[in-house]
Amino acid sequence: MEKFNANIAEILEVDKVEMDDELSSFECWDSLTILSIIALSGENYNVTLSAAEVNNAKTVGGLKELIKSKMK
Amino acid sequence: MNLKFYNKSITGILTVLPAKEIKFEDEMENYNFSAAKSLKLKMAMGYNKHRIVEDGVTISDLCIHGLNHLFEKGFLKKEEIDALILVTQSPEYFMPPTSNVIQGKLGLKQDIICMDINQGCAGFEIGLFQAFMLLEQDEINKVVLLNADLLSQKVSKRDRNSNPLIGDAASVTIVKKSEKPNTIFANIKMDGTAFDALIIPAGGFKTPSSSKTAEMVEDAAGNFRSLDNLVMKGDDVFNFVQREVPPMIEQLLEKAKQTKEDVDYYMFHQPNKFMLNKLADKLEIPREKMPSNIVENFGNASGVSIPTAITFNLGEQLTKESSLICLAGFGVGLTWASILMRLEHLSFNEIINY
Repeated sequence: MEKFNANIAEILEVDKVEMDDELSSFECWDSLTILSIIALSGENYNVTLSAAEVNNAKTVGGLKELIKSKMK
Repeated sequence: MNLKFYNKSITGILTVLPAKEIKFEDEMENYNFSAAKSLKLKMAMGYNKHRIVEDGVTISDLCIHGLNHLFEKGFLKKEEIDALILVTQSPEYFMPPTSNVIQGKLGLKQDIICMDINQGCAGFEIGLFQAFMLLEQDEINKVVLLNADLLSQKVSKRDRNSNPLIGDAASVTIVKKSEKPNTIFANIKMDGTAFDALIIPAGGFKTPSSSKTAEMVEDAAGNFRSLDNLVMKGDDVFNFVQREVPPMIEQLLEKAKQTKEDVDYYMFHQPNKFMLNKLADKLEIPREKMPSNIVENFGNASGVSIPTAITFNLGEQLTKESSLICLAGFGVGLTWASILMRLEHLSFNEIINY
């Protein structure tokens, strides 16, 4: 998952992210951002996420843990 | 479920689009989002303009306009129509079927089968299956397949999830017994446990429309809609399409003993550019073989999106040439279906305005 931070930062339209950054605090945060995260997770990690799961992950670190936990 | 049909062909496709065109920017103020966010969505999804009927126009208006065009041009004769199949989720009445209404208005013969089918995104495939089966009858030689939907009327103008992508349209497809032998490969699956992934919750017999169902409510993402409006679980639908469609296409090609390269075009349902590009990438199909330009030009008119993609992208070409085409529809139901067939030397393949 070495590229995770860079990919998430790109989706969130910032240069870099910290693990405790709150997802909903980003300026660009909306349903399109969530869909982009769902697509990234499916493409790069073969993990299917729902919009509710992404929202419940709360932070960048929470999202990373969520994807890790669903990787086989 | 794998299906096979023998000795059937499509001889012409006509798409009928409402002339009224609305630009994405003109509706942006209805949405509860900043202009910057909405414009980003426009870029990602390929939204631009869509075709919407004027108030009071119904599906029979579009279908009759299209059929009269074919009668006038000499592409079709009234007495040749042995069956009229109408696939729609915008019927004029709960009873009678709108296909009967169209038969009556056009004065078609009584030796005919009229049939409405309630299907959406896979409506072109389902309609073709029905046409192929009817053509097994000795006395049925020509079937007219109508696909028509006016779902703009059921979408909330304040729903950024659905309003920018929806379009209204109808199509007329002529299906015949083929003069030379052929085999058409197809498959279909359904999952009714996710019946509410795409739904208009009220207005049927279960929840009749009332002042209560007309109340506009804000959802978690900031969209306003009522129970009378179409609602789509965008994330579930996206995941469903990425999960189910690629294996369906692989299986279709395997049964037909064809490779992905053998297929000239992948004419898929047109939900939005984002989803189609992801699908092309996952299937490792060049994006130019899978057009995704219908939503940006006309909007997604449910089962009419594939005929629109064929007439818009391959219009004159298919009247002169022969192409192996893979069709795939996926959505409402949930239903997903695909067909591999050759389209060649069509007598017409065009778009007209209403």
